[in-house]
Amino acid sequence: MNSVITSSWVLALAPEISLLVLLIIVLIYDRLIKPEERRQIGLVSAWGATVILLLTLGLWLFGNEPNVQASLRDSLIWGGMLRHDLITLVFRVMFLVALIVTSLISMDVEKLQRGEYFALLITATVGFSLMASASDLIMLYIGLETASISSYVLAGFLTKDMRSPEAGMKYFVYGAFATGVMLYGLSLLYGITTQTNLYVIGSILTGAQAIPVEANAVLLLSAAMIVVGFGFKIAAVPFHFWTPDVYEGSPTPFTAFVSTASKAAGFAVFIRVFTAGALGTPNPSREWWAMLVAMCIVTMTLGNLAAIYQKNIKRLLAYSSIAQAGYAMIGLVTFTPDGSGAAMFYLLMYVFTNIAAFGVIILVSNITGSEDLDDFRGLSRRSPYLAMIMLVALLSLGGIPPTAGFLGKFYLFRAAVNAGLWGLALIGILNAFVALYYYLSIVKYMYLYRSEEEHISIPVSRAAQVGLAFSTFFVLLLGVYSGPAFEWTLNAANAFYALIG
Amino acid sequence: MTPGQLALRSLIVGFIITFAVITGFAYTTLLERKLLARLQGRIGPNRAGYIPVPTRSGKPRRFLGGIMQPAADAVKLFFKEDITPAKVDRWVYTLAPMLAVIPAILILAVIPWAGEITILGQTFSPYFAIAPGVNVGIVFVLAITSIGVYGVVLAGWASNSKYAVLGGIRASAQMISYELALGLTVLVPIMLADSMDLGEIVAAQKGVIDWFVFRQPLAAIIFWIGALAELQRAPFDLLEAEQELSAGYTVEYAGMRFGMFFMAEYMKMIALSAITATLFFGGYRGPFVDQVPALGFLYIGLKTFIGLCIMIWIRATLPRFRYDQLMAFGWKRMLPISVLNFVVVGIFIVLQEEGILQPLFENTLRFLGIG
Amino acid sequence: MVEQIVFILVSLFTLITAVVVVTNRNLFHAALALMASFLGVAGLYVLLDAGFLAAAQLLVYIGAISILIIFAIMLTRRLMHALESPFNSQWGLGAFTAVVAFAVMAGVIAQFWPVTPDSVTPLASRPEVSASILRGSVAELGRALVSSDAYVIPFEIASVLLLAALIGAIVVAWPKAEDE
Repeated sequence: MNSVITSSWVLALAPEISLLVLLIIVLIYDRLIKPEERRQIGLVSAWGATVILLLTLGLWLFGNEPNVQASLRDSLIWGGMLRHDLITLVFRVMFLVALIVTSLISMDVEKLQRGEYFALLITATVGFSLMASASDLIMLYIGLETASISSYVLAGFLTKDMRSPEAGMKYFVYGAFATGVMLYGLSLLYGITTQTNLYVIGSILTGAQAIPVEANAVLLLSAAMIVVGFGFKIAAVPFHFWTPDVYEGSPTPFTAFVSTASKAAGFAVFIRVFTAGALGTPNPSREWWAMLVAMCIVTMTLGNLAAIYQKNIKRLLAYSSIAQAGYAMIGLVTFTPDGSGAAMFYLLMYVFTNIAAFGVIILVSNITGSEDLDDFRGLSRRSPYLAMIMLVALLSLGGIPPTAGFLGKFYLFRAAVNAGLWGLALIGILNAFVALYYYLSIVKYMYLYRSEEEHISIPVSRAAQVGLAFSTFFVLLLGVYSGPAFEWTLNAANAFYALIG
Repeated sequence: MTPGQLALRSLIVGFIITFAVITGFAYTTLLERKLLARLQGRIGPNRAGYIPVPTRSGKPRRFLGGIMQPAADAVKLFFKEDITPAKVDRWVYTLAPMLAVIPAILILAVIPWAGEITILGQTFSPYFAIAPGVNVGIVFVLAITSIGVYGVVLAGWASNSKYAVLGGIRASAQMISYELALGLTVLVPIMLADSMDLGEIVAAQKGVIDWFVFRQPLAAIIFWIGALAELQRAPFDLLEAEQELSAGYTVEYAGMRFGMFFMAEYMKMIALSAITATLFFGGYRGPFVDQVPALGFLYIGLKTFIGLCIMIWIRATLPRFRYDQLMAFGWKRMLPISVLNFVVVGIFIVLQEEGILQPLFENTLRFLGIG
Repeated sequence: MVEQIVFILVSLFTLITAVVVVTNRNLFHAALALMASFLGVAGLYVLLDAGFLAAAQLLVYIGAISILIIFAIMLTRRLMHALESPFNSQWGLGAFTAVVAFAVMAGVIAQFWPVTPDSVTPLASRPEVSASILRGSVAELGRALVSSDAYVIPFEIASVLLLAALIGAIVVAWPKAEDE
């Protein structure tokens, strides 16, 4: 870690810097346009994010940034605050895709056509992106707070609505408490190692020197507390109580964003902190490993069982997203590059899938004014394309080929079996069957039930068309041709297990 | 010197300085009344105590008329009935005047009153203050000033009276707004002197030419305005505003409790005057102060006195702000200007340290055809 | 020894006022106790030779945050009649959780007892703190915040965080006048 700023250091931050430029453009543009052209703000945000996505990918493909061959020591930049590796790139792509599609599907929601809304989406994306690349406790916390504060406000954005401020408040109180507990855990970690860099802590705790007994107890306590914060972010049981209320009350486009990008960012730090060995060598003999496995099982099962009884589609998808976090946790607890790669692939496909599902909900509820399951009656006749997209998204969530969800689950369960966790894979498969019940019941509403309003078609704006088509295309593409993408995430996941030499 | 002895010495010095400033407070009230009267073409208090100067006509001239006025006021305040209204919050009502006075005394701790000096065999190094060498002296001053608002706010709330509460609310909003500009302006002397230690800030202003007021007049002006706002002196005395709030937060107080608020205000006037002198006007420094360190007391006393006179002068001259004007002035004028000023000073200091400023200056002159 | 006594006194002050914050029925008094508790924390910083941190604690927590809380109470509550019960129907459960959490933490920390410089087996070398570092701590802190091999990125991102909070405050406080 030398102190000379190299071009690589700056290029590593290029996406964040461009996002901040975009933020300023959005804020200024908001003041310049006429009130009747307000929907253009979303377009600016979506185009900007697209350019940044292309820039990020271009830097990787043509500029060899991040350099996959670089040693861990070289990939730690800015004094060890950030790590410039493939993991960051994969997660950045997820966040930017989520930002693009969310901007597109928010554009025609009249109450959200404000510069502040898109500005906060962008600051949240910056926060997520830094969470994914953070390799220092301080950086991790600041990234997390940047993302969280933006999220709290976005959840309560519709100040005139009854439910939205409630959602914002609940999210805020829960979040502040969870983050506080996490911070205490982090401080314990700092206390026993006097270091803040994850990989340095990892090298101390996984090094040759045996960990003293009293430090072991602190590590367990610290792990439990850190899991509170991360568990809140990924909405894992028992830190999931906010999820249904916040998902239901928030503006729906933001629900799409928080259920995908925020969850992915949570997983990014979760996997990174635990695999870096910051809480001791990650293997099943650790005391906290059992805790994580238990969380994983309970999260899957409880999420699915609770989802069955939901009548509100946003609440249903909230419980479904809790269950999905449980599946992704399977990849985490294996603590093999295979498992982490599978979890990353799962999150990648989940971003496309869930945003498509929420996009349809937004369009439907814009017309019907509520989010009940009954509103989806006869959707296949009102708008065959929307019904089709919803079908693909639901099949993907349920894990039916030829959608990406099938392969996502397949890779996860395979990694679990390879790591010797047969039981976990079995529970996952059983849960997938339970989940099919409620996913298919939505399909039943859309295709089999009739409604009196079938003659009223649902208008879909060009922006939403593009956003939905884009997501659906990728859900299907990853379902039939996942090889390169899976290779990519697998390569990235290898970086999780690098150690300071 | 052991820490214990050091603490004991600080305690003694603290007592002496506090009593000196309390005496100063008493006479500042007289100064204010006399000077205000003169500025308004009146005479002011001239009955209580005087020095008879014999004249040729036989009737002695009354020199320094009113010199015992503060003593008379103090006696009056002490013997007035100390009323505690029925529906006040007793605890907070009693606490408020104390919380007003304590910060006013605490600020005095870090002000350097003279340079390195030996008094009664005790050497005060690096400078004479209650707590010399506090390396964050100026931040301490800001911190303590910001606590000062508690006295007002608590008094306003505890009095259970709408005028008092309005005064309290106005005070807290005003303090928070002007503290920002004040804090940002204080950064300018810190950057110029490269230290937060008030003693080193003074040491950086060797001659009159080096006074920071000449290098940064804008900062000095903003600091002075901010200080007036923190003191809640005219034209920022909205929390008292006799015509609107019938004296605001003090309306339910009587006797010495009221006197304590009065005392806090005037002591803070003295302290902030001295701090302004320290930050921008060379503090205790002046001609021959290196040879005769004791002159330091005189110089800073003089500078503080001038500061007090200017405060009174401003009070006599300017009308009170309206509340919205006050807020707009604080947020839309003071804050942006102080931020800009701070940034510009920072840039110039960096340019100078990198050795770019001098050539840049010369080249500009050459380009303009002057140099 | 003297330092020990001062530490215990300051800690007791901090803890007692903190207890008052959560048990007092008068919201305004609770806010005042909170301010006193912050003052105790500043005292602890002074004991740790962190003068700048102590002054910043006074300036930020007591001078700004507590004042804002008190300001909010004065603006929203009916004067003097704001007696809130600190207990609700779940207080038993809450107390139980708190006690268990405390017991666990105390148990873990008790493993280190008695704490002396040699009894602890530190996993990493202790950072050296010399008198010169303490003397110039503010300058060191400032330099660390803008060094590329230290905290410049968190420092800059903190400004993004504040910007987000600022935009958020505008969203929340914006008058809901023009009714669509």
